[in-house]
Amino acid sequence: MTVTKHLPPPEKEHLKVGFMRLTDSAPLVLAQATGLFSRFGLDVELLREVSWANLRDKLVVGALDAAHLLAPLPMMTSFGAGGLRANLLTGLSLSLNGNAITLSRALWEKLHWEKNPDAAGMTQALARHIDANRDQDVLTLATVHMFSMHTFQLRMWLKAGGIDPDRDVRIIVLPPEQMGDSLARGIIDGFCVGEPWNTLAVQQGSGAVAAVGYDIWNNAPEKVLGVTETWHNHFPGTHLRLRLALMEACQSLSDPQQRTLVAEILSRPEYLDLPVKILMPSLSGHFSIAKHLPPVAIRDFHVFGRYFAGFPWRSQAQWMVKSSAVLLGKKISDDHCQALVQQCYRPDLYREAARFLDIVSPDQDAKPEAAHSGEWHFDDGIVLGADRMIGGDRFLSGV
Amino acid sequence: MLVDDNPERAQLVEERLWDCGYEVVSVIPSATGLLYQIEQHSPDVVLIDLESPDRDVLESLAIVNHHNPRPVVMFTQEEDPEYINQAVNAGISTYLVGGINPEHVKPVIDVAIAQFRSFQALRDQLNSAKIQLEDRKLVEQAKGLLMAYQKLSEEDAHKLLNKLAMDNNQRLPDVAKTVLATLSPKGRGSKK
Repeated sequence: MTVTKHLPPPEKEHLKVGFMRLTDSAPLVLAQATGLFSRFGLDVELLREVSWANLRDKLVVGALDAAHLLAPLPMMTSFGAGGLRANLLTGLSLSLNGNAITLSRALWEKLHWEKNPDAAGMTQALARHIDANRDQDVLTLATVHMFSMHTFQLRMWLKAGGIDPDRDVRIIVLPPEQMGDSLARGIIDGFCVGEPWNTLAVQQGSGAVAAVGYDIWNNAPEKVLGVTETWHNHFPGTHLRLRLALMEACQSLSDPQQRTLVAEILSRPEYLDLPVKILMPSLSGHFSIAKHLPPVAIRDFHVFGRYFAGFPWRSQAQWMVKSSAVLLGKKISDDHCQALVQQCYRPDLYREAARFLDIVSPDQDAKPEAAHSGEWHFDDGIVLGADRMIGGDRFLSGV
Repeated sequence: MLVDDNPERAQLVEERLWDCGYEVVSVIPSATGLLYQIEQHSPDVVLIDLESPDRDVLESLAIVNHHNPRPVVMFTQEEDPEYINQAVNAGISTYLVGGINPEHVKPVIDVAIAQFRSFQALRDQLNSAKIQLEDRKLVEQAKGLLMAYQKLSEEDAHKLLNKLAMDNNQRLPDVAKTVLATLSPKGRGSKK
């Protein structure tokens, strides 16, 4: 992809961009290492942060210009749930999929993967296990943030097996890096987390994977490039250049060689600080769900560039607001939901960038969800990925 | 309750809070067991290091308050960006537990912000003192070498270093480093 039109100048050149210690920070890390940011006239400093709350707060006070954010966070920060309230928005999704549900090795063994070798079979087996152990303490499962696809995917998976996520289990929040240790020490029985933290638990032998994110919702939204509305209004040219650099990085990550390269870069101390062999399984899609099992091919474990992954679909933003409302136990009116979605998810900004790269982009803001089991034609020249949800379309109105 | 993985700073903040008449019910280095600690001590306020990975844990308690009897809410009632700015820059975040009046809490936060800042200032001072000392050592060593190898007086050696620094547009300690690398027996040995 090349930029064929004259780009507006950047209002600001030196940028601080925050990210979390996760494999799906790959587009940012690759854009930095291959000089994409500087090609677009930006001097970017990547800063590793330790919590989503930190990314949010630093964005809000201007200590960061942009951040790698959980897809629901722009809406929920604008709504003011749980922490500091501020208007955030995104004009670019950074990735689809990338999560998995890992259970403690002991619990996983009891569910007999060999007889129930998929996400649906494992949740049904877990439901039977819970039923048979009603006299025991409820299981504790961890997610990385209340308003995350991790929480939603965990709830969808449990509900698909007939498990009530509010009554039959206890769901708590833990930082990704503490998941493996908490599992090994028996503080939790399982977790839903992004890579490389599932693979690390698998390789250390403390856990085994019961479901990968793709099998819960094919090509689910995952991370976005978040900025504050104020920042976007002050620096629209800079924001455009940042999105262009990252769109190119995401696109090149469709190439397996680039994924190998990014694994090497990600393994450096300033990024993930973990061996390449822990990062490669999810990036290559040759993934071991348990230490004793050989790797299997897992489709689209991370999607960065294919299927117009960068397009911020408002149908997905709406789904995330509805699902968040369920967690909050609050009713968010349709009008309020629409307003949040319009303000926070900005497909117009994606289209603006796509025009500069001479690539087509979807001309509608929403698409059907939970309706396709394979690739499908959305529009002329626009092929999107599967979008099935576990349990069919019964979670269409949120989870 | 105070959550801080820096024991020195935690001690400073704790002492200051006691001095100001507040009761510090618990000081913990990390939120491993944070949920348990909150249930045990039922604090009114949790002060937590901004850089603690456990802030997402703490914030989740506010959200699931229909499951948890001790909701935690971030101090945003004021919606005062400048105040939040100060706290973030000082490196502290604050959460209220239960129905305590935020007005009563502000002084606690002010104390914590001030202590976090003075700790930072202290550390910066120490760092810069350390750097100064190192710099001076480097310059002295380079002077010594110049005196030995070039048979210069101390004054001339110093003048030469200054001139090199001016000519190369470098700081004196940086020039000293170059001189040391070229002239010291180890430096010379490795070059050959």
